[in-house]
Amino acid sequence: MSDTPLLKVENLKTQFFTEAGTVRAVDGVSFTVERGEIVGLVGESGAGKSVAVRSILRLIDSPGHIVGGEITFDGKTVVGFEDEPGTDGEPTRREEMLTNTEMRSQIRGSEIALIFQDPMESLNPVFTVGGQLRELIELNRGLSKQAARDRAIEILREVGIPQPAERFDDYPHQFSGGMRQRVLIAMALGCEPKLIVADEPTTALDVTVEGQILDLVYDLQDKYDASFLWVTHDMGIVAEICDRVNVMYLGEVVERASVDDLFYNPQHPYTEALLNSIPRPDQSTEDLQPLEGAMPEPINPPSGCRFHDRCPEAREVCQRTHPDLRTVTEAGQYAACLKHDAFEAAYETSRPLTDESPAAGGDRRE
Amino acid sequence: MYIVLFIIVVAIWAFVDGVVLDYYFAERFWYSPITAPPGSRGLLPPVGITNEYGTGTWAHPLGTDHRGRDILVRLVYGSRIAIQIGIVATGVGATLGTIIGAVSGYYGGWIDDVLQRTVETFYAIPFIVLMIAIMSAFGRGLWIAIVGVSVITTPIFARLIRSEVLSVREEEYIEAAKAAGVRDRNIIRRHVIPNSLAPVLVQATLQIGVNILIVAALSFLGFGAQPPTPSWGAMLAQSRTYMLPDPWFSVWPGLAILVTVVGFNLVGDGLRDAFDPRLND
Amino acid sequence: MSLPRYVARRLGQSVFTLLGVVTITFLLVNAAPGDPVRIFIGPSADASAIAAMRAQFGLDQPIHIRYIKYLMNVVQGDLGQSINYRVPVTQKILERLPATLLLVASSFTFAIITAVPIGVLSAQRRNQLSDHVFRIFGLIGVSTPSFWIGLLLIIILTYHLGLLPATGLVMPWAPPSAVDHATTRLDVLYQSGIHLIMPTLTLGTLQMAAIMRIERSSMLEVLNQEYVSLARAFGVSERTILRKHAFRNAQLPVLTVIGLNLTTALGGSVLTETVFSINGIGTLIITGVNARDYPLVLGTTLFYASLFVIGVLITDILYAYLDPRISYGDES
Repeated sequence: MSDTPLLKVENLKTQFFTEAGTVRAVDGVSFTVERGEIVGLVGESGAGKSVAVRSILRLIDSPGHIVGGEITFDGKTVVGFEDEPGTDGEPTRREEMLTNTEMRSQIRGSEIALIFQDPMESLNPVFTVGGQLRELIELNRGLSKQAARDRAIEILREVGIPQPAERFDDYPHQFSGGMRQRVLIAMALGCEPKLIVADEPTTALDVTVEGQILDLVYDLQDKYDASFLWVTHDMGIVAEICDRVNVMYLGEVVERASVDDLFYNPQHPYTEALLNSIPRPDQSTEDLQPLEGAMPEPINPPSGCRFHDRCPEAREVCQRTHPDLRTVTEAGQYAACLKHDAFEAAYETSRPLTDESPAAGGDRRE
Repeated sequence: MYIVLFIIVVAIWAFVDGVVLDYYFAERFWYSPITAPPGSRGLLPPVGITNEYGTGTWAHPLGTDHRGRDILVRLVYGSRIAIQIGIVATGVGATLGTIIGAVSGYYGGWIDDVLQRTVETFYAIPFIVLMIAIMSAFGRGLWIAIVGVSVITTPIFARLIRSEVLSVREEEYIEAAKAAGVRDRNIIRRHVIPNSLAPVLVQATLQIGVNILIVAALSFLGFGAQPPTPSWGAMLAQSRTYMLPDPWFSVWPGLAILVTVVGFNLVGDGLRDAFDPRLND
Repeated sequence: MSLPRYVARRLGQSVFTLLGVVTITFLLVNAAPGDPVRIFIGPSADASAIAAMRAQFGLDQPIHIRYIKYLMNVVQGDLGQSINYRVPVTQKILERLPATLLLVASSFTFAIITAVPIGVLSAQRRNQLSDHVFRIFGLIGVSTPSFWIGLLLIIILTYHLGLLPATGLVMPWAPPSAVDHATTRLDVLYQSGIHLIMPTLTLGTLQMAAIMRIERSSMLEVLNQEYVSLARAFGVSERTILRKHAFRNAQLPVLTVIGLNLTTALGGSVLTETVFSINGIGTLIITGVNARDYPLVLGTTLFYASLFVIGVLITDILYAYLDPRISYGDES
């Protein structure tokens, strides 16, 4: 079809205006999803992954607001602002940006569907599983009640619910966690959207169930020809199903690469650290190099490179200069780290910021 | 928002009760609330206006009642009675209920069964009806009312504490205390009850308001403090005869009840929001 | 467990509650000082007349015998003879029952049909002006003595505006000939309506405010649930979310509050009946207490408790119907 990606997110900024200050949960994130692709969005909890994907559906509740950037989906402008702010200083919506009603009727569910994270809380306990599924299919596919019901039973079978016609009228509490997660997947697939956003859908599940669910998604992706944006903190899942990966840290994308490049040739120290913290059978636990410290709060991010206070390779320049995402390898791998030549940041001549160094004292956060 | 409202209410209340009235009393009558001889409180028509019946003047801003007594004076005495009953009865009920509920929830078994059935029984009889039954048996009057309201308050707290205890009982530190050989009574006293105090405090504050309403209702029906004690409910009952010529006589005591109960409800809501900020604004 | 068995079991449990009610009230009433016979006959009665009357009402027997006898009679539906009215207590109660039931039913209907939409609206417009207005109204509503509302209504609507009658109730099914200003069925209904308005508001305001408050907080809690986010993410409109996805869940705590408020309402009916001089069970019990008519007090108290037990049973059944997680078996 066309060359334009299915989903294009550019310089997205979503902020939460709280009493304690402005939380820059998503701060200038860009990524794309091509048709038929599974794209990973990886990072620790709190990195802004969930906020980023909910911004795509414009599902940010107050006090959060999308304050900048552009999101286009399949030729439609989901988020788009004028270059000049309005007279009140607030960003002005561009004319072609979809209205809230259009978002609801044209995008949510029907074009982009979200697989929710928590199978225990995401189904309404007082309605039958089948009824909830049928309603969403009816709404988003414009089917009659009966046709939607037939479709719902079919899709329940496809996601591996045994005896779907009999279980159609069961309530959520009669399903196990894994079964409920399958129902959540069925909800997304049943609406036949072009893009399915999976927000850590297997986090709450046992490892064995997780494996089954991943296999299922892989099979169904082929069959439905849907694109996936897969949010996770688990590098194992990334390796298993993703085509391309975006690594997020503290509201920013710090590395973007194909799965193979990312695993065999990571270009950002944070990615390396994530990979080094995965237990492997050929290593003892002593060989693991878990990441030191915790991710800082996005309300008061460190100066310069946001990762510098946890980075084993940090140098003085990293405290001052904030790196953007640039192509750093010939294979077209992107990273936001000053150690690469592409940044011309005099990294090599800068003093290292290790614990032994005299600079590693109080002036870490200038 | 609630906090601001509450402060305003308290400020007005303190001002009226504490500053203005002592001045008001001392200026106009031979006694003030402090200097009044025992037994005379609200009893005697204030000097100089006996049998003078009418609506508001500067000397009597809220007017006088059918026996020429200053309504404002009686309202203030009434407030002391109402708040006294509200606080004492709630305190007694909450204490008894906490003990019963803690024992019931902690031990379970037949003790729990018996106590729960008893509590349910008290729940099943409408408060007013139960109070009427109690007062028909033991007589009418302020102290009987306090005892009665304590009795009907107890099951509310017993039930509340029991459910708190049931959830606290499963906590690991209780298991640890048991394993360490701490005696049951001490576990209840040192661990179970302190952990259940927040909801009790909230419920108690709200219950003071409810109890003031119940006592007012009883007095209205003629079962509370007996005349000439100036209770708000009794004043409302007396005002019924004069609703046509002097409607304001019916307005003031009700307003006094309303403002007082709103005050306790505001504190209760505020405490609940403070302990459980989930639904805070 | 099937519904009939559930109801049967709950009724079985209720028997214990009612037994407790009988015991407590029996003890209370018998602890009372004052002699009903003396009050009834008067101070000048001679000893033999008093003794005869004591024997007639069984008051000459020891208390435990009387208790057991009373229980046996209650089981057979006999609440004894009213000393004051000289008719069976059950007859008197049945005579007064329609007025009280009409009053309670109409005030609950009023409370529910106003409070539920207002509570939902208040939650939907959280922290907007209308929400604040509703919340202040709710706060005042639960803090106002109901009988005072009655008095104010009478002052304004009857004395000043002359709009509504201040006393009595007219049963909508009463024959036109028995009702003032009525010749046709329509007149009776009209009279019944205008008599019912003020008592309904008097008794219903507290219930309305209480239901409104719980409806709002319950709705807010449900609107924060993940399944509501899911509906939103799948393009379900806010209107449908409010009316379908959130509403039913939010009614569960509301139902509990309604069930518990039934006692308050039944108690409040005593006050409302007094204010509006309605011949219901509430005024009956007050008459009973004033006349030391033990059987009457006992009987009406027991009857109030039974009404409550039935009401709670109905709300429990509705609860189980609304919430599929509750099976009829494990409600405890």
